[in-house]
Amino acid sequence: MSEPVIEIVGLRKTFRDFWMRPVAEAVRGIDLSVERGDVFGLLGPNGSGKSTTIKMVLGLLAPSGGTIRLFGQPPRARAARARLGYLPELSYLHPFLTARETIRYYAGLSSLDRRTARARTAELLARVGLESVADRAVGGFSKGMARRVALAAALVSNPELLILDEPTSGLDPIGTRDVKELIRTLAKDGVTVLMTSHLLADTEDVCTKIAILSQGRVAACGRTADLLTRTQDARFTVEGLAEDEARALADELSRRYGKPVAFDHPSVPLEKFFAEAVGAARG
Amino acid sequence: MRRFWALARSAALEALAEPLSAILFLIALLAVHLLPVFHLHQFGEPGRLSRECGFSALLMFGLAFATAAAVHSIGRELESGTAAAALARPVPRALFFCAKVSGVLLAFVLFMLAVAGAMLLSVVTAQMGRMATAHGDALALTWGPGLAAGVGGTLLAFTLAALGNWFLRTRFCVGACLLMTAVQPLALVSMLFLNRSPVPWSLLPALGVLAIACAVFVAMAGAFAVCLKPAVVAALLTVVVLLSFVCPLRAVMPDINRFWLVDAFAGGGAAQMADLASTACAGVLLVAFWFVVGSALLARREIP
Repeated sequence: MSEPVIEIVGLRKTFRDFWMRPVAEAVRGIDLSVERGDVFGLLGPNGSGKSTTIKMVLGLLAPSGGTIRLFGQPPRARAARARLGYLPELSYLHPFLTARETIRYYAGLSSLDRRTARARTAELLARVGLESVADRAVGGFSKGMARRVALAAALVSNPELLILDEPTSGLDPIGTRDVKELIRTLAKDGVTVLMTSHLLADTEDVCTKIAILSQGRVAACGRTADLLTRTQDARFTVEGLAEDEARALADELSRRYGKPVAFDHPSVPLEKFFAEAVGAARG
Repeated sequence: MRRFWALARSAALEALAEPLSAILFLIALLAVHLLPVFHLHQFGEPGRLSRECGFSALLMFGLAFATAAAVHSIGRELESGTAAAALARPVPRALFFCAKVSGVLLAFVLFMLAVAGAMLLSVVTAQMGRMATAHGDALALTWGPGLAAGVGGTLLAFTLAALGNWFLRTRFCVGACLLMTAVQPLALVSMLFLNRSPVPWSLLPALGVLAIACAVFVAMAGAFAVCLKPAVVAALLTVVVLLSFVCPLRAVMPDINRFWLVDAFAGGGAAQMADLASTACAGVLLVAFWFVVGSALLARREIP
């Protein structure tokens, strides 16, 4: 088995005030392992330690205890950080730079040569749908457009590990769907993704593994399918079955197995319905 | 090197893109061009007030512009999160600090060039005697060609920047600063076509030495901004600059009296090259010291 991309053991973080008195214990002993190719979701309510954990993984905050290995190296190792892309919770961008300049700026920070940076910038602007506004200052962008620029900036160095803090925050439903599709595509291409989100439906849609944090501890962790599937129950979908036929079938199953049988009609996810409605209206 | 350049370029652009920068450029240049034309203040030595006004503009406006830019570039970026986004890349913290402050210093060099151009034009104009009215009215303002070239050129640069912003969507403040800098030597050359007056190039090294003193404060402001709030840095730096006039701690900050070499030019004198060189070296060492301090502070700082 290959080495984990991120390995966290006994991670703790205590924030202190000016006099070094402890103010808040944000992370209280987290153990996590993110394998190559995982789309790993960190979930939890506000103040559960998600962003603090991510910032320690990025080397921006120093842990109070425990260890983090990023590609087998400490998080501050330049070689490790050269292999990751990061999308912060808020799209921290320089307002005076255009979308194109912003992506090139991050290309420069990743030491891409000028020709590669130019080609990669054009490719990413097309990928996030911002070609038409590439030369406008990002200070005038909507939150969703700024999010797309920040996402493009995170991808500019072709990272092996992508760390996304609330990636769909500020995006409209179509933008959200596009980002989720992008995450799935990247995962298919072998990119490992670690993401946080408050939107549980988004996480469920794209994450292969999840960890739920609460008060700085891991409350649950595992494969999404394993955690969410109730293997003791079963659901059948039969196409073209009328209401009375379905009721009769449920009664028959209930009689045969001596257990209550419920049935319902499948519904289209709102996100899909919204995209179809907007698509139809746009012609 | 690419990382350094990307960070320095963005810091320089950021410094020039602030509306305050264009305003400080404009005020400083107009002050250098306009103040010496008041006949009352000629002191019987044409050019003296132009020289002193140029040096003062660099020290006061340049210091305000560059230290504000350094505090913004380091402090605000650390607070707003743009620094976190950059430092999550393979960017060493020392490189981040040095590149950011270097970028601000690049913008400051532009300011220095603009003031130098304006000062030379002003001194040349004064030497040509075109400003003085010599008609007994001490406060009369003579609209000579030098004044027209300096003030007109500066205002024209502002107008061109506005037109560029309107038609080509270029950045107004950056364009205004760049054009105001470019127009000063052009105005000087046009004046020299009218009258071949000697240009006092010897002033430039002395102005450069003063700029190095300002660079020390800029690097110091950047280092303070790593761990203090911008308002605290501004207050602290004001105290430090005032202290540097009266009781300088030469190991950590420049003695402004030592870097203020314009008095050597009074009465046709000149600054000694040995003085210039030793003062410049001391200043460069102090800049390097504050680069090291800032880098060390940033290496230890947590970035929330």
